[in-house]
Amino acid sequence: MSNSLSALPPRKIASPWLWPLVWGALLLLSVVAMSAAEPLFRWIEPDARQVVYDRVDFYVLLGRHLLVVGIAAVVTIVVGVAAGVAVTRTRGADFLPLVGQLASLGQTFPPVAVLALSVPVLGFGTLPIIVALMLYGLLPIVRNTLAGLQEVDNTIKSAAHAMGMTPTQTLRQVELPLAAPVILAGIRTSVTINIATAALGATVGASNLGDPIISGIVNGNMAYVVQGALTIALLALTVDSLFEVLQHSLRSRFTAP
Amino acid sequence: MIELSHVSKRFDEETAVDDISLRVPKGKFCALVGTSGCGKSTTLRMINRLIEHSEGEIILDGQAIEVYDPVKLRRRIGYVIQHTGLFPHWNVARNIGLVPRLLKWSATEVQARVEELMDLLGLPVGEFAHKYPHQLSGGQAQRVGVARALAADPDILLMDEPFGALDPITREKLQDELARLQARLHKTVVFVTHDMDEALKLADHLVVMREGRIVQQGSPLALLQQPADPFVESMLGGLERGLKQAALTRVKDHMTSMGPTLPAQSRIPADFSLRQALSMMLRDHSDRLAVVDQHDVPIGELSLRRIIKEAQLDKGNARE
Repeated sequence: MSNSLSALPPRKIASPWLWPLVWGALLLLSVVAMSAAEPLFRWIEPDARQVVYDRVDFYVLLGRHLLVVGIAAVVTIVVGVAAGVAVTRTRGADFLPLVGQLASLGQTFPPVAVLALSVPVLGFGTLPIIVALMLYGLLPIVRNTLAGLQEVDNTIKSAAHAMGMTPTQTLRQVELPLAAPVILAGIRTSVTINIATAALGATVGASNLGDPIISGIVNGNMAYVVQGALTIALLALTVDSLFEVLQHSLRSRFTAP
Repeated sequence: MIELSHVSKRFDEETAVDDISLRVPKGKFCALVGTSGCGKSTTLRMINRLIEHSEGEIILDGQAIEVYDPVKLRRRIGYVIQHTGLFPHWNVARNIGLVPRLLKWSATEVQARVEELMDLLGLPVGEFAHKYPHQLSGGQAQRVGVARALAADPDILLMDEPFGALDPITREKLQDELARLQARLHKTVVFVTHDMDEALKLADHLVVMREGRIVQQGSPLALLQQPADPFVESMLGGLERGLKQAALTRVKDHMTSMGPTLPAQSRIPADFSLRQALSMMLRDHSDRLAVVDQHDVPIGELSLRRIIKEAQLDKGNARE
């Protein structure tokens, strides 16, 4: 497939939606028809009794995976952007270094350690993994919100002020729209990383696409591992390409012909 | 009307503006001129409260500016800056309509006003309304900047070196257009520049500043005739002063009715400046020019001897 695509002349092919559609279709195919590839997995694990993971349906696992990543993403976006905005206001400027450091600290903390520490407090299940993802995903968003807002040209901000815009109007109509591409890039990094990291949740009893991987490792069944990894990779690629479309449409607003 | 009396601005230890007083009557064009760091921009920014003054009083239409709400004050004062400060993510029409929208005009009112202003500033609506700032040339962008400042029809217009970043030809064109606009709109304008020619060309009232103080103020002609000190004189171009003054004088003010002699060979339109007349005399090796009206019909005569004699008289008058 890749051959036929690269053979096309380098004109703008189809719509920007091409890749999200391709990856999304493959993802869908993999979650509903994993068993169709049984011969392939049989080749990987000829001796196993069972080669296609079937304890829970893949689309159910996908749904739970998305839910965990989604909740964590919504919380990190709200908290991260709000923190970034707060410390770039005159009143919050004192907290700028602190917030920057806290966000970095969140990312240096390995998610596995967060899981280990939060299980005694929050118990087994979905909650500890959401907490870990929130901590881990905060940094790219905070960092990019800060960078995006600080990059907005001072001339433009002072012009907004001089025209009689209130600080809130300036933030909402000028600063945030201008910083949006950079903030979005941070959200994209955060979410994509978290799609992969969420698989760790399977170790503390949160059922998601990490299940086949953990189960495969525990039972020495490589086919399970491949199935989990494949689905997670396709999910990450789908979501990442969706962000690409979003970023492209944001960028093209500034370079309209 | 804008009135500043004994206004000072201190930043910590440093005095940026030191006890200045000046008055800009309604509908007049006041230019603040000086070298960089002389406090002219600070003075401008104190008028719309981007900077709060430390001492003295700034009166706007009979009220001290502290009385006004700063945000509302800024919405009724047009403001133009050197690098336009247009919002890059908004198209031209949206940029121009900013202040009317802040003032909650209806969408149709805003659109009508935007089109009116684009017309006024020579920006064809069909071609420019949907362009983004980065697609405009410097001159076009600054036209949009001026249109944005005029959008809510403010009485007062503050301009901070608006044409400073433009090439000489575009700058001159925009100066001419600003003069034409001002003749029509009669805004109260405070215009900051370091370009004395620009100030002489546009201003009714010229204020020369140095190190936070006003060195001299008055009409451009008065300053040219009687510079207060060597600094003002050097700002006014030193030895070129005579020519700058000539540039402000129309040929028709110095012509005489046609004499008994034959009309001179070289012809000059009556509304040209004396400076252009002098240049023509040098070029054509002639001390006399025939003055013609717009239909190229001779209506008078200009002689070098008479110009010099009248300049002496003017100087005498200014001294009194």
